[in-house]
Amino acid sequence: MTELGQALVFGVLAGSVYGLMATGLTLTFGVMKIVNMAQGALLIFSAYLCYTLWARFGIDPLLGGFIVTVPLAVLGVVLYKLVIQRVQRIDQGLTIVATFALALIAEAAIALAWGPNPAAATPRYFNQAFRIGSLTVPRAQFYTCLLAVGVTLALQAILKRTWLGHAITAAAENPEGARLVGVEPARVGAWIFAIATASTAFGGAAISFLYQFTPDSQDVWIGLTLSVIVLGGLGSVPGAFAAGLLLGVAEAITSTYISVRWAAAVPTLPILVALLIRPQGLLARATRQDTGT
Amino acid sequence: MNKRQRSTRCLGAAVSIALLAVSACSSAGSQNLAQPSGPLTIGMSLPLTGPVADVSRSGYQGYKLWASQVNAEGGLLGRQVKLVVLDDGFDPNQTAADYTRLISQDRVNLLLGTFSSLLNAPASAIAARQQMLYVEPSGGSASLFTRGFTNLFFAQPGTTTSLPDQFVKWITSLPASQRPATAAYVTQDDPSASPAIAVFQARFAALGIKTVYSQTYDPSTTNFDTIAAAVARAQPQLLIQGAVADDGAQFVRSLEKLRFSPKILFQTNAPSDDTYPAAIGAQNTQGLFAAEAWSAKAAYRGNASFVAAYTKMFGVAPTEDAANSYTAGQVLAAAVKAIGRIDQKALAAWLHTHAVNTIVGPLRWNSAGDPEGSLLLAQWQDGRLQIVAPQSAATTTTVVNPKPGWAG
Repeated sequence: MTELGQALVFGVLAGSVYGLMATGLTLTFGVMKIVNMAQGALLIFSAYLCYTLWARFGIDPLLGGFIVTVPLAVLGVVLYKLVIQRVQRIDQGLTIVATFALALIAEAAIALAWGPNPAAATPRYFNQAFRIGSLTVPRAQFYTCLLAVGVTLALQAILKRTWLGHAITAAAENPEGARLVGVEPARVGAWIFAIATASTAFGGAAISFLYQFTPDSQDVWIGLTLSVIVLGGLGSVPGAFAAGLLLGVAEAITSTYISVRWAAAVPTLPILVALLIRPQGLLARATRQDTGT
Repeated sequence: MNKRQRSTRCLGAAVSIALLAVSACSSAGSQNLAQPSGPLTIGMSLPLTGPVADVSRSGYQGYKLWASQVNAEGGLLGRQVKLVVLDDGFDPNQTAADYTRLISQDRVNLLLGTFSSLLNAPASAIAARQQMLYVEPSGGSASLFTRGFTNLFFAQPGTTTSLPDQFVKWITSLPASQRPATAAYVTQDDPSASPAIAVFQARFAALGIKTVYSQTYDPSTTNFDTIAAAVARAQPQLLIQGAVADDGAQFVRSLEKLRFSPKILFQTNAPSDDTYPAAIGAQNTQGLFAAEAWSAKAAYRGNASFVAAYTKMFGVAPTEDAANSYTAGQVLAAAVKAIGRIDQKALAAWLHTHAVNTIVGPLRWNSAGDPEGSLLLAQWQDGRLQIVAPQSAATTTTVVNPKPGWAG
């Protein structure tokens, strides 16, 4: 029983991190139909910024995540205006190529700035844990889980309770209808990109003290975050969180009771099942497909 | 036969002789019989870009230092050494293409090896096919030495098969009361790690040490919490990890979170990485064991001057990869000097029958090019990686046992 309990604890904690990392991607993919292949690079860039704030100035990476949201939001707007918007005018499908190119450029730039060696922040709590009976709850993951819940609730509040959120939701669910009520999906794009890249800061902060990372670590995360958003439903922030939890728990249970080697295949199996049974994802609503932009 | 016919026939004979001479000189295994002038070209393909570019750079610098020292002493066979370097981007297919080009297009006089078993496997196969001597600075996977190649030589004291030697010897030397009764084995699925862990497990089982947990994980694994939890539940006294890179630090971080600290912890490669202490917390390195091919402090002939020259030339202390490539150069130079000409078969035959003194100690090879020594046993002590065995290379007589619990 302890074994199962421990696996569930690890799964929930790891899964919340997955959800946190995918929030930015689900917004850009769900609302703008852009598969942002630079999401992994943005996560690693954010991780390096948080690591630098910790190593140079002693700023806790969790706090660093909040600080880094500002430059990342600006970066998001710049990327949207300079690259995404221009490429979209030529061909919507080209955005995947453009963001992939951005990811490669970012990886090289990060390597030039920080070097190729692995980095990891070690704040005081990085290797500490709470004990609840016979269960171990790692403090670093627990704090990250709280952060993930907070970010999910905050983004959900923005989407549901602000005019911008309503505009984003309208643009996502029915672009043509949104235009009729004065919301131009293309104009909302810069805001979405800013929010998406800013929220990536928290995922990067989590990476900075949970894992060792290098400039090419983005490869690890882009596949996983894509799995999370497909499973959770495009554009659904709570869906991404729920999908992250599901994948995390599935990985932990597989590692504990079947094999660690099978755990690597876990992200793909629930997606196959979800696409067969509920193709719109866990928490996203099915929408008409005849109202494209 | 008139005068014109005779002169045509003489010219034809002269051309035929010249062609025969050229053909003889270019045939594999007996090049440069005429002792040509100009630089002696040594070809290699290195992953100068790509995921292991950082490791490769220091290895390349080791080669450059060796070449500059050889040239300062008059070169090899009276000719200056020139390195012909291609970049394979850590792609095995590109590595094979590069070595083919070096041999058939660039017509280099000699070859030196590249990095990792992944790249040295195809490169050494190309060299074997072309009957060229191939001295490699890394690529210690046992599988490389079971292909029947007679021209392959590994320029480190031991391979994955002999990696456990010194540690097993140390465990065996412990009094029965201090010897661990149980062991857990965790390894990355990698040719440089998993075969060594299999040897560990077999040899400790023969000593009566019971295996309580065994797990192989995929190289893409980043989260070690569930593995660490399973290890903690099994409560082994001895824990062995086949750690290739950052998986070593990640696994220890997971053990720290669970507050599980085995009495003895051995990791194959990871603890010698520069970033390792910072990743797990500097105090937590105390008592951790690792295997090393080279130590900056080992008292082997030429080692101290290598460290000093490298530091002076590049402004940083040499890494193990730099030392390994420098060693490969030493091995190649020893054979060329001994034979006195570029004769690939004769060079290989000489290396099979002679020991070479290098900065990693005397090296001697079996018929497969597998070195007959073993790697060094290192242990983190008070923030420094000390060599505890063998005695000839030891930098301390102290061994921390048992390992203290995790700090923090």
